[in-house]
Amino acid sequence: MYEFSELGWLKHVIFHPVEGYDDLRWKKKGSMKISMVIVLLLFVAMVVNRQLTGFQFNGSYVKIFNVVPLFVQSIVYFFTWVIANWALCTLFNGEGTIKRICIYSAYALVPYIVGTFLSVFISNFIVSDEIVWMNVIYYVGLGWSVVLMIQAIRTVHQYSFPKTLLSIVFTLVAMLVILFLLVLLISLFQQVYVFIASIYTELTYRFRG
Amino acid sequence: MVSRMKKHIKNIISVGLALSITVAMSLTAYAGEPYVSYNYDAWGDAIPSQSGYRVDETITGYEMELDKLADPKSDLFVSETEPTNLSGASDIFYEKNTKEFWIADSDNDRILRTDSNLKVIGCYKGVSNSQTSVDAETGLSTFSNPTGVYVNIDKATNKPVFYVADNKNARVVKAVAESKNSAKCMFEYTKPDSELYANASRTFNPSKILVDSAGILYVVVSSVTTGAVVFSETGEFTGFYGANRVEQTAAVIRQAIWRKFASNEQIASMTRNVPVEYANFDIDSEGFIYTVTEAANASTDAVKKLNPAGENIWNTATGNEYEFGDLPEFADCDTSKYASRLTDIVVGDDGIINLLDYETGRVFQYTQDNDLLFIFGTKNGTSDQRGTFTAPNGIEAIGEKIYVIDGKKNDITIFVETTFGKYVHEAAALYEKGLYEQAIDPWNEVIKRDGGYSLAYYGLGKAYLNTGEYDKAMENFKVSVAKSSYDRAYKYERDDFLRANFTLIIIILLIIIVAIIVLRKLFKKGIIKMPKLKKKPEKEGK
Repeated sequence: MYEFSELGWLKHVIFHPVEGYDDLRWKKKGSMKISMVIVLLLFVAMVVNRQLTGFQFNGSYVKIFNVVPLFVQSIVYFFTWVIANWALCTLFNGEGTIKRICIYSAYALVPYIVGTFLSVFISNFIVSDEIVWMNVIYYVGLGWSVVLMIQAIRTVHQYSFPKTLLSIVFTLVAMLVILFLLVLLISLFQQVYVFIASIYTELTYRFRG
Repeated sequence: MVSRMKKHIKNIISVGLALSITVAMSLTAYAGEPYVSYNYDAWGDAIPSQSGYRVDETITGYEMELDKLADPKSDLFVSETEPTNLSGASDIFYEKNTKEFWIADSDNDRILRTDSNLKVIGCYKGVSNSQTSVDAETGLSTFSNPTGVYVNIDKATNKPVFYVADNKNARVVKAVAESKNSAKCMFEYTKPDSELYANASRTFNPSKILVDSAGILYVVVSSVTTGAVVFSETGEFTGFYGANRVEQTAAVIRQAIWRKFASNEQIASMTRNVPVEYANFDIDSEGFIYTVTEAANASTDAVKKLNPAGENIWNTATGNEYEFGDLPEFADCDTSKYASRLTDIVVGDDGIINLLDYETGRVFQYTQDNDLLFIFGTKNGTSDQRGTFTAPNGIEAIGEKIYVIDGKKNDITIFVETTFGKYVHEAAALYEKGLYEQAIDPWNEVIKRDGGYSLAYYGLGKAYLNTGEYDKAMENFKVSVAKSSYDRAYKYERDDFLRANFTLIIIILLIIIVAIIVLRKLFKKGIIKMPKLKKKPEKEGK
C-alpha cells in the first residue's frame, strides 16, 4: 500500500480525512515527536494570534501580556483531552492506547494551527472591510480540524459514528471534571505550602533569637 | 568587630536613605489641588493626568458682602436680622447680557443678585402683586425654599425678568426686577388643573426651571416622572417634555415577564415601573436641552441631549456609545465603591458640557462628541480644603471659569483653567469645527504636558489623515487605540502604496509565474531532480 516518510503520513492524514487515519492505524504509523511539535505549535499559534494580529483586528488588552492562560488553553487542554478520552474510552470498549490518542489528536490540530497562522498573517495586510477573508481562513481551518478530530477518535477506538460523537461529548465533560479536581488540588497544595512556609519562618525567627 | 562596623555602615546608609526620601517627599508636597487629577485612557483605565483646572478662590457670604443686607446704612438694606451667609444654596445662574449672577439661596428663602465678581447687588425676598403666601408686615408674596432661578432680559424695558421655582409654595413666579430689592410679579405658574396632569394627589413642587428663546417654560417637578412640565408663553400648561425611560434592570424584566401570566388582580397589586425624573437641565444657544438624572448609577438616560421634539440625540441605541461620569469599574484611591449621582449640567462656551457629580464632588467635562476632557474637584468629609465639596448643588461655566455652589459649606468655589486646560480647549474647539490641521500645534502642546492624554493623539491622527500623512496618522491612532480610524488611515496608505508600486508588483508576479513554468518544464525533462527526504528505516519488520 502506501509508503510515506513521517511528514508524508501527516500530509496524507490531513488531506484524506475519510481513510487517512485508517491507513495510519493499519500501517501502525504516527510519530510522537511530530505530535509534540504540533502541540507546541498550537501554543505558539495562540501567542501569535494574541500578539501579532493586525492592530485593527486585535481586541486583546495589550498593557499586560500573561502567557499562562494561553499555555493552559493550548497545552494543558490538549493533554487533559488525551487523558480524559483515554480514561473514558478504555471503559467503553475503545481500542486506543494513550500514545495513539495523543498522536492522532495532535495530527488533527494541524489545519487549525495553519489557519490561525494564515489569518494572523493576512490580518496585517487587509482592512476591516475585507475581514471576511480572515474569518473564512480561520473557520475553514477550525472546521477541518473538527472533522479530523472526529475521524481520529473514531479510528483510534474503532467506534461507530454516533458512538464517536457521544464519546467526544463525554470526554468534554470528563475534561471539566479533571480540570476542576486539578484546581482543587492546586489550591489545597498551596495551603499546605503556606502552612509549611509559615512554620519555617517561625522556626527561623526562633533560632535567630 | 567587622560585623559591628558593617552594622554601623548599614545604619548610616538606612538613615541617609530615609532622610533623602523624607526630603524628596516634603519637596513634592506643595500647595496643589486636594485631589489627584486623573483621566481615562483608551482602555477605560483611570490614569493620572495634568489638571485642566485649578482652584482659584472660594467665595463665602463675607466675600459676597452679604453683610450689606443687614446694614441699615447700605442701600441694599433688607432687615437687621437678614442672614449674612448663604444657606443651602441650590442654584446659580449667569445672565450673559448684564454679566450678573443670580443665586437661589434656598434655606434663606431669597434670591440673590450679584455682579460678575460675586459682589451682591440685589436681594429678593418675595414679589409684590401676588396673593400667595403674603407676609403681613411687608405685604410681599414671599418665597419659600426657592430651588431654581432663571433670568431673561426684557428687551423693551431692559429690566431683568426672573423666574423662580418657589418649591414650598408650589408655584413658579415670573417677576420683573423693579429695583435692587423689589420685584413685581408678572405671572404665577401653579399646578395645572388639566386632564393631562391628572391625578389630584400629584403635587406640584417645582425644583428647577428653564426658559427657551420662545418664552416657553420647562419645569422639573420631583413628583412627575413623565418629563419636564411645559408651560406656553401665555402660561398655559401644554404637556410634558422628554421623559426618561425605565432602566432595564433584572427586576424590571422579570416583572414584565410575570405580567404576561398574571391575572388582572395580581397585576393591580404589582408595583409600577416608572422612570426616574431628571434632576436638572440646561439649554444651549441652539435651543437643545441637556438633562441629567441623579439616580445612583443610572445607565439609561443619565445624560440626554434633547432636540425640540423631545428626542434624545445622545442615544446609545443609534450605535454610538455615550458614557458619562466615572466608569463603574473604576476604583478610586480609597477602595470604597460608589455610584455616580450627576446632579447638575451646564453647557459652556464651544458647547463644552460640564457635569457635576453630587456623590464624589467631581466635575466631568465633555465635548459635544462625548470625549472626556477633564475631571476635577472632589468630595471631602472634613471639607476644610479649597476645591472640596460637601453638598455640591449647582455648577455654572463662564469662559475659562467654572463656578460650583455648595449647599452645606455655603460657598462658591471658582475653578480657573490652567495652561494645559487652555491648550486642550483650544485644540478641542478647533477639532470640533473640523479645523483638524490648525489643531496640530495645540495638540502637540498638550502632549508635551501630558503624554497620556489620548484625545490629543486622536486629534493629531485626524489632522494627519486630512493632510495625507497616513503613516503619521496610523501611528497616532495606534497610540489612542482608535481602531476604525486606524483602519481608514491604513486603507489609504495601502492604496497609495499599491498605486506607487503597481508596475514593480506586476513585474515580480510575472517573474514568479515564468519561473514556475520553467522549473516545471525542467522537472518533466528530468534536468533537475526533486531533493528527496530521507526515509526512516522501518522499525518493525512485518
